[in-house]
Amino acid sequence: MDDTLVSSIIGPTDPEHRRLANKVMEEALNRAGFAFGDLAYVVATGYGRINVPFADKQVTEITCHAKGIYSLLPTAETIVDIGGQDSKCIKLKDGKVISFVMNDKCAAGTGRFLEVIAGALGVPLEKLGELSLSAGKAAVISNTCTVFAEQEVTSQLANGETVANLIAGIHEAIAVRIYSMANKLKISQNVVITGGGAKNIGLVRALEEKFGCPVLVPPEPLLTGAIGAAIVGKETYEKAAIKGETLKRSTMGLQEARFFS
Amino acid sequence: MAYVLGIDIGSSFSKAVVCKDKTLISYAIMPSGGNYKETAGKTTEMALEKAGLAVSDISYTIATGYGATMVDFADQSITDISCHAVGVFHLFPSVRTLIDIGAQFSKAILLNDAGKVTNFVLNEKCAGGSGKFIQVIARILHMNIEDIGDISLKSEKPVEFTTGCAVFAESEAVSRIAEGALPADILAGVHKAMASKIINLVVRLGLVGDCAITGGGAKDHGLVRAIETELKTDVLIPDEPRITAAFGAALLAAENSRK
Repeated sequence: MDDTLVSSIIGPTDPEHRRLANKVMEEALNRAGFAFGDLAYVVATGYGRINVPFADKQVTEITCHAKGIYSLLPTAETIVDIGGQDSKCIKLKDGKVISFVMNDKCAAGTGRFLEVIAGALGVPLEKLGELSLSAGKAAVISNTCTVFAEQEVTSQLANGETVANLIAGIHEAIAVRIYSMANKLKISQNVVITGGGAKNIGLVRALEEKFGCPVLVPPEPLLTGAIGAAIVGKETYEKAAIKGETLKRSTMGLQEARFFS
Repeated sequence: MAYVLGIDIGSSFSKAVVCKDKTLISYAIMPSGGNYKETAGKTTEMALEKAGLAVSDISYTIATGYGATMVDFADQSITDISCHAVGVFHLFPSVRTLIDIGAQFSKAILLNDAGKVTNFVLNEKCAGGSGKFIQVIARILHMNIEDIGDISLKSEKPVEFTTGCAVFAESEAVSRIAEGALPADILAGVHKAMASKIINLVVRLGLVGDCAITGGGAKDHGLVRAIETELKTDVLIPDEPRITAAFGAALLAAENSRK
């Protein structure tokens, strides 16, 4: 067994976590040309990890991000993960999590903030980064709260501010929030950005400015948690094999799990 | 005795109060809209009309609130903190702790025995403790903001929200609705989440004496009850809680007009 990534799939999560877990699993298996029975061990992670009935083990996304990043970018010591529902900062030492800090209480500083503002500006989320690079000068966004910032952006637009400057201002605002969260841990290089936020080049630039150093972005920043989960699965399997133990597996196969949706 | 005018331009609603000496004669409330100058004029006209008065009958005008500086016909502008304090102390002399719940901001104000402001704290950073939160939830439930309080009071099992963030709570509410939660339980949960944010302001100051709630939030019975539950005490609410600062401004105008 090796560390090679054989196949991957990314799909949007909706409230029906279980149905989606099955769907992405099936597609990933299809791409790899495997059957579910070919898998020696399955690890689920993330916000909805308990809703993966066919997983043999659930592991927190903190651990999985750390594992994933350590295998992709072994020199990383700080991970900043910007997700749709929360943002977090993880400190690593030789691939082990030594501390972490998280914001899931306030939408400011998370991907949600970007989604709301993108909606208010009528700009697709994936266009934000590129558009912000054409900004002449980042607009000053004085509100922290997403709700108030949305109003502010709308009124600044009405007052003639450009969309590009507003987006640059929003990136700056998120970067400030994330930096102040990350700064609670002692930030050490190299810094890696993961999660959907890492796909936004404007936000990545704004973070580089705040952190005062270049940051690394993995080839597919949305996958690092899942890659880490796969590595945890491999390690669990190998450890058991060495000890000659039989691993306890989930009794719910991929097909049966469908009935739960 | 001459008539005086207090006018409060809030981020959401504008209020004008006409007083004769220290007696309330008439008032008007209208949405602030995008043109504060025009709104200030219109709200004043409405209040004067109700009292059967003309602009020339007003001897002194004090403006307050978010858009106070836009009221170009005012003789003076005074902060809404001071105006709230004066208005509430006149109505309820026993009140030492005042909570104002506006559309954008919530604040807690402490008064001394003379009705003077001794300390205050604002929540201006987060929509979670402001009327905006109720507006967001009212929108997804397709409800009128005025009906929310009574519906919330019918709840038997308030939904527990995991965050006090209005943005996250909005999606949480949508998920709970999808799972079959009753609107009353959603609203009661929102009121509870808001109350805990608002109580944090009071805790920072320390609850002293009787407590009054003013602003649009005070018209929401569900929110008021949630705050009473958290504070473990009954609170006082003016008959029209939204005009408290404008009334205070008018009382100050009455004093100043005599000088």
